[in-house]
Amino acid sequence: MEQLANNPADGATAYNFAYLDEQTKRMIRRALLKAVAIPGYQVPFAGREMPMPYGWGTGGVQVTAAVIGPNDTLKVIDQGADDTTNAVSIRQFFAKTANVATTEKTAEASIIQTRHRIPEKELREDQVLVYQVPIPEPLRFLEPRETETRKMHALEEYGLMHVKLYEDIARHGHIATTYAYPVMVDDRYVMDPSPTPKFDNPKMNNMAALQLFGAGREKRIYALPPYTKVKSLDFEDHPFEVQTWKDECGMCGAHDSYLDEVILDDQGNRMFVCSDTDYCAERQEAGHRGPQHHDQPLGNASREKAAE
Amino acid sequence: MTLQSQTSELLPGFDHAAFDSNAVFRVLLDALSRPGRIYDVPVSVATPDGLNATTTATLLAMADMDTTIWLSPTCVTKAATDHLKFHCGCPISDDVAKADFAVARIDDDLSFITHLSVGNAEYPDQSATLILMVDEISNAPAMKLTGPGIKDSHDLDIKKLPASFHAWRAENHHMFPCGVDVIFASPTKIAALSRTTRIEVI
Repeated sequence: MEQLANNPADGATAYNFAYLDEQTKRMIRRALLKAVAIPGYQVPFAGREMPMPYGWGTGGVQVTAAVIGPNDTLKVIDQGADDTTNAVSIRQFFAKTANVATTEKTAEASIIQTRHRIPEKELREDQVLVYQVPIPEPLRFLEPRETETRKMHALEEYGLMHVKLYEDIARHGHIATTYAYPVMVDDRYVMDPSPTPKFDNPKMNNMAALQLFGAGREKRIYALPPYTKVKSLDFEDHPFEVQTWKDECGMCGAHDSYLDEVILDDQGNRMFVCSDTDYCAERQEAGHRGPQHHDQPLGNASREKAAE
Repeated sequence: MTLQSQTSELLPGFDHAAFDSNAVFRVLLDALSRPGRIYDVPVSVATPDGLNATTTATLLAMADMDTTIWLSPTCVTKAATDHLKFHCGCPISDDVAKADFAVARIDDDLSFITHLSVGNAEYPDQSATLILMVDEISNAPAMKLTGPGIKDSHDLDIKKLPASFHAWRAENHHMFPCGVDVIFASPTKIAALSRTTRIEVI
């Protein structure tokens, strides 16, 4: 299906290039230019209804539609994976409406749309990372009124956010926020990095690629230009830390990537695998093996055990 | 005067609206997210008297009925206003404070720039963008730029940039997050200054 749609002769002709009409794209593009000029500030935009429900990446899709050109190569990931429903359907959407090439390889993509992960492979200057954002306002759960949060951003009044992190420490002994961990952008705006695991926060700092964020339901666009200072909020005596695992990836043996836990049976057996499927596949192609890979003696043993 | 004679004087816009406006936008997005880096504009467009090619391409890509354009007295020719009204359908105002995009030449009287909209603390995005038509953009070390989008520093030289511009720009930078973003448009190239960019005049 995807290969068919990549053939220019089979492209959908009933739509404008990349689905949105030109006036909508111009409106989104103007918002994007303001967003890169004011890093971390949420620019309101006239978000359109997209042919998918809110929560499925309507914001990211609109940003991608405004940015993508006929020579781009698109990669879409959902929690790091190229092969999940959300990623596959968005990739097919643009293959169909924009006739663009698609890929699952991070290095080959010029635009990467992501739901809640940043690829493990370091991104380059000629790449654009588009985030799907559910709730763009980092202060929303602390202050529900938009009029108030807007004022708080205007006055740089972020004390409440520090109180929230402090309460984590008071109750749990450490900062218990593990995803959507708030960041300070260029020493001015507190920004929600979208629900990426905090493991990915350090990658945002001084990234070579342009990062664009689209929230479709909330109708906000924000951005991080390349090489922008992005600091995760913390305290001197409780510095920001990312998650670490005692285990390695069961398939490729990686110690440095973000791992998903997979329950294998009802006997308490489990394994960990890289959340970034392309990173894991690339390592396996290069010959790296984890203990549960089917090439491995233990991997076969556990499979036979499962078959019994 | 018949409709025929009115339209026959009009110049064409983009050859392909979707692809050309996308190509111009990508250059603008790159230029604003990497201030001081110089980009070729990959599209050639018919240019009305009063504007240059890259400015025309920028306005064709970005302006429509939602954006008010202000043209400086030396740019506001009939050909330019007709071109923009026909292809973009944008309102053209003679009040610089209302402008979303303000267009001027580098050798114009630039005293208007202090009247450009800078947005407000709650909505800093409601600010103007200044498009300054210049003769030549190079990366000679006349200005040293630092800030978001710039790895270490970028050198930029805009021919004939007056000292008053730098005074205004320094003030503009202090107003952050409010402020005006600047696009320098030479006949073939584009470079931009974001409001976040710090400039050291060498």
